[in-house]
Amino acid sequence: MNVRAQLVMVFNLDKCIGCHACSISCKNIWTDRKGAEYMWWNNVETKPGVGYPKNWENQDRFKGGWRRDDGKLKLRALGKGPTLLNMFFQPNMPKLDDYYEPFDFDYSNLYKAPPGSDQPVAEAISQISGKRMEEIKNGPNWDDDLSGSQIYAVQDVNLEDSTLVADYGRMFMQYLPRICNHCLNPACVASCPSRAIYKRGEDGVVLVDQEVCKGWRFCTSACPYKKVYFNWQSGKAEKCIFCFPRTESGQCNACAHSCVGRIRHVGVLLYDADRVEAALLKEDDQLVAAHRDVILDPHDPQVREAARKNGVSDQWLEAADKSPVYALVKEFAVALPLHPEFRTMPMAYYIPSLSPVISSGGDLHTLADHGTFPLLETMRAPISFLASLLSGGNQEIIAEVLRKQIALRLFKRAENLGQSIESSILKNAGLDEAGANKLYRLFTIAPYRERFIVPTQQREVQNPEERKGSSGFGILKKTRRAK
Amino acid sequence: MLDSFIFVVMPYAALALMIFVTPYRYFSNRLTWTAYSTQFLERDKLFWGSVPWHFGILLVLLGHFAGVVCPHGMARLLANQQMLVLLESIGLAAGLLALLGSVMLLLRRINDGTLKRVTFCSDWVLLYLLIMQAATGIYIATFMRWGSVWYLHTAVPYFYSLLSFKPELGYVADFPLIFKLHSAGAFLILALLPFTKLVHLLFWPLAFLRDPPILYRWRSQRGNSRDF
Ligand code: HEM
Ligand code: SF4
Ligand code: SF4
Repeated sequence: MNVRAQLVMVFNLDKCIGCHACSISCKNIWTDRKGAEYMWWNNVETKPGVGYPKNWENQDRFKGGWRRDDGKLKLRALGKGPTLLNMFFQPNMPKLDDYYEPFDFDYSNLYKAPPGSDQPVAEAISQISGKRMEEIKNGPNWDDDLSGSQIYAVQDVNLEDSTLVADYGRMFMQYLPRICNHCLNPACVASCPSRAIYKRGEDGVVLVDQEVCKGWRFCTSACPYKKVYFNWQSGKAEKCIFCFPRTESGQCNACAHSCVGRIRHVGVLLYDADRVEAALLKEDDQLVAAHRDVILDPHDPQVREAARKNGVSDQWLEAADKSPVYALVKEFAVALPLHPEFRTMPMAYYIPSLSPVISSGGDLHTLADHGTFPLLETMRAPISFLASLLSGGNQEIIAEVLRKQIALRLFKRAENLGQSIESSILKNAGLDEAGANKLYRLFTIAPYRERFIVPTQQREVQNPEERKGSSGFGILKKTRRAK
Repeated sequence: MLDSFIFVVMPYAALALMIFVTPYRYFSNRLTWTAYSTQFLERDKLFWGSVPWHFGILLVLLGHFAGVVCPHGMARLLANQQMLVLLESIGLAAGLLALLGSVMLLLRRINDGTLKRVTFCSDWVLLYLLIMQAATGIYIATFMRWGSVWYLHTAVPYFYSLLSFKPELGYVADFPLIFKLHSAGAFLILALLPFTKLVHLLFWPLAFLRDPPILYRWRSQRGNSRDF
């Protein structure tokens, strides 16, 4: 057993209101710079939709992630030999148009314009060419809220039946906030010929060393989530840093902190690094189970002993003990990995959305026995869609999670109304009363310190004499001491 | 006078800049060590420029180096006439690829509006210089035949004389102007290398071929003094 600790974020999709507060706080802190304007380390997309960059999920086109080949994992795009031959041109790299041409507005014209008969307007200015843009043709969430669904949403690779988005009675939408997943088997790391991208041993955060990166751009193609971006100004790759300067001091990430829907949880998972590869060789629909299998029980004394041996501190073990993420991902098994079939073993988990559940009765919405919710098969968001997104196509796993959510709601609804429900409802969904109450608390009223349990980095045991003054943004240099 | 400038001053100046400025740049500002790829902004024309250019120029450079590193082997190889014709044709084809590629790269920067923001003086200088260099090289290959052979008895001994700090102009002084231009161009490009994005060619990654796919860095281990 090779136990390592990983900081993990869980997103409760049922609660995301698509407000983009997360994207904006991230942008303001990290990417409001020349060359990075088009980057959204955190973005929120509408599903069904094409997302950002457009069609990122379509690996026939972008060739991201891993595939299985003869009982081994291989990068889908380029092996090592082909990497050397493709140094001069990246065949699978997305281009500016796949994202969008970043723009700003000439706000100053609003108050500096000379008096005239027309209302002054703030024109769009390209943040790349600096020139006025006649027309804005694209944006980071261009198909927000199903706009242009006949052009965009119909292209969603997860939709079994794309006519659904044209059918008012059946269409649905939900939001999907995305950051870098800080994967356990990151394709970005494996693809980098300069070895500039690395996974931090202590917390699993995946970073690009700006001094080592030579701008070869293999990572931008290899990441199946398209979460490594090329800075067109500096000529180097950049990505989400999991707000490590914040998490190191025990704060949660900026996106999670600003989340209006309070949909996010951050905490520690312990996992067995030796089991990752074997787990990823499983069939697509077995991958969620394989993920859960790699994650270890932090209460197990053997696990704790092995973790200590690997240098996981008591403070981190305590955080793993209380981890809201462990509860959601493994204990209650309600949070699922995004596109596990890309085989990077992403460490961001999503609780699938139950909504919209509004039922009007009639043939489209047959209600379940207990009379409040529609049958799982007739939910607005097709189970096949959620399964394609979150479980490698395994519909049973999605059904299990949705059943838990429904049972939880029925239970709490009855409690609220002073009624009683059959205990079988909770039991059939694999819950008991204590568990339901714990889940309810996590889903709804858990305050900051329960949603986010982020242990600090313990610099005092990480060679402080060597590290002092060695972290932070920008060019770091130490003063040399006279002998 | 011109000869000693081209064949003594320029090579030593270029060498000195290479030896002193390159490490200085590496240790003082590695953040600028990149090829400044523009594929993100313009992709289609880049393919037809960058690919022929790089494969062409790398083959040509390989030929130039082979003669210097291993003159006797090359001489023996080229003694076979068929081999001579074959290698010369490959060399010429590679040169033409490089020329076409570099012209494409230049046209692309001239014509594509989105590239204006990422094109600087050094890009123009480099592209014009490299086109010049490829063009003069092709001229020499076509009109001063069997260069791969006479190179071994003229330029190569001259390089050795440079390396032993006793430059012998006798080997190269009698060549026509076009050859001297080609040499001056080469030294100029080498001299500019440490100051421009050409530094990218000094890093052709190979270590990753051996590495395991996933790389970890531990803050708690010594030696990784940088965290970011
Ligand atoms: C060692 C192997 C080399 C590698 C891996 C390499 C790689 C690259 C890459 C990735 C680019 C950026 C292309 C883009 O815009 O996406 C580039 C550009 C360039 N390379 Fe190389 N290169 C190598 C050798 C050379 C050599 C030997 C030369 C010439 C002496 C050279 C001259 C150039 C020039 C002039 C550009 C800029 C082209 C432009 O105007 O955009 N490279 N190279
Ligand atoms: S999501 Fe992409 S960028 Fe992030 S660790 Fe995984 S492969 Fe790398
Ligand atoms: S801030 Fe929260 S609720 Fe708003 S879009 Fe982001 S994840 Fe969704």
